[in-house]
Amino acid sequence: MARSSTARRLDETLPLETKKPSFGGGEPPVPPVRPNVTIGSNAWVAVIVFLGAEAMFFAGLIGAYIVFRVSAPIWPPPFQPRLPIGVTGVNTLILIASAVTMRLAVKAVFVSDRKKLIRLLGLTAILGGIFLAVQGYEWVRLFHFGLTLSSSVYGGLFYTLIGFHGLHVVGALTWLLIVFVLAEKGRFSKERHVGLQTCAMYWTFVVALWPVLYGLVYLL
Amino acid sequence: MKSKILLGLVSASTALSYSPAIANACAVCWAGDGGPIEEAFNWSVLFLMAAPYAVVGSIAGWLFYTYRRSAVKREKNEALQPRVHLVLNPEESGR
Repeated sequence: MARSSTARRLDETLPLETKKPSFGGGEPPVPPVRPNVTIGSNAWVAVIVFLGAEAMFFAGLIGAYIVFRVSAPIWPPPFQPRLPIGVTGVNTLILIASAVTMRLAVKAVFVSDRKKLIRLLGLTAILGGIFLAVQGYEWVRLFHFGLTLSSSVYGGLFYTLIGFHGLHVVGALTWLLIVFVLAEKGRFSKERHVGLQTCAMYWTFVVALWPVLYGLVYLL
Repeated sequence: MKSKILLGLVSASTALSYSPAIANACAVCWAGDGGPIEEAFNWSVLFLMAAPYAVVGSIAGWLFYTYRRSAVKREKNEALQPRVHLVLNPEESGR
């Protein structure tokens, strides 16, 4: 049946949705929209980017270590002291334990357990301090045995790689102590804990890096 | 004449490219004898090439994991929300 000119004109002026009604009339069903989900704060993203840069810094150092380690005919070089594998292995476990206590501290803030948070942060700081103290003691012993920064490539690489990691632990421990003081003042809650979370991220990075360096420098 | 000089220069540079020890075309060409130094540089370069992919991949993986976890948590919270009971409010209804 031919359509009248009025009907055709009406068809052209009406919007598309009106011209094509859905089943049963009314508006066509709206497709489901995935809601915006906030996964973290801006500080959180900034720390991730910072950790990426840190990882690349250590990748550069490890790359240099690989060049000297693989090209050396004998490793460690003769007349150089051997590194303390056993003591540092135990120290590695202590540092890994500190990452566990840090994780539990973050969980404690989610259930608003302030006492547990402070206790676990303190325990993490103590474990980190023990790690640094043992490392320092071993460094002094190695220094007395003749392993210095300029004694050989071996000494230079050891102190550069492990030294930079030690500096990072010192930085992380300082940050942790600040967070500890803030936690004692009650600055963290279930809703507001970005400072604690970013500190935990940095601490976890420093801890996760250590087994890689330990395996590379002490065991290989 | 000029084209002959140009041809000579191109030929000489092409010939030099086959002899890296003379040309010093690369900073580490002295290690190109198949020895341990070459192997060391190869492993180091491979490691450094893989490092950015590993770092960026880890960050992307972590963001994706956190996003999924947040979405699941949000859905759970929404499911736990109490139902709104509709009750007749005489004042508002005007009856």
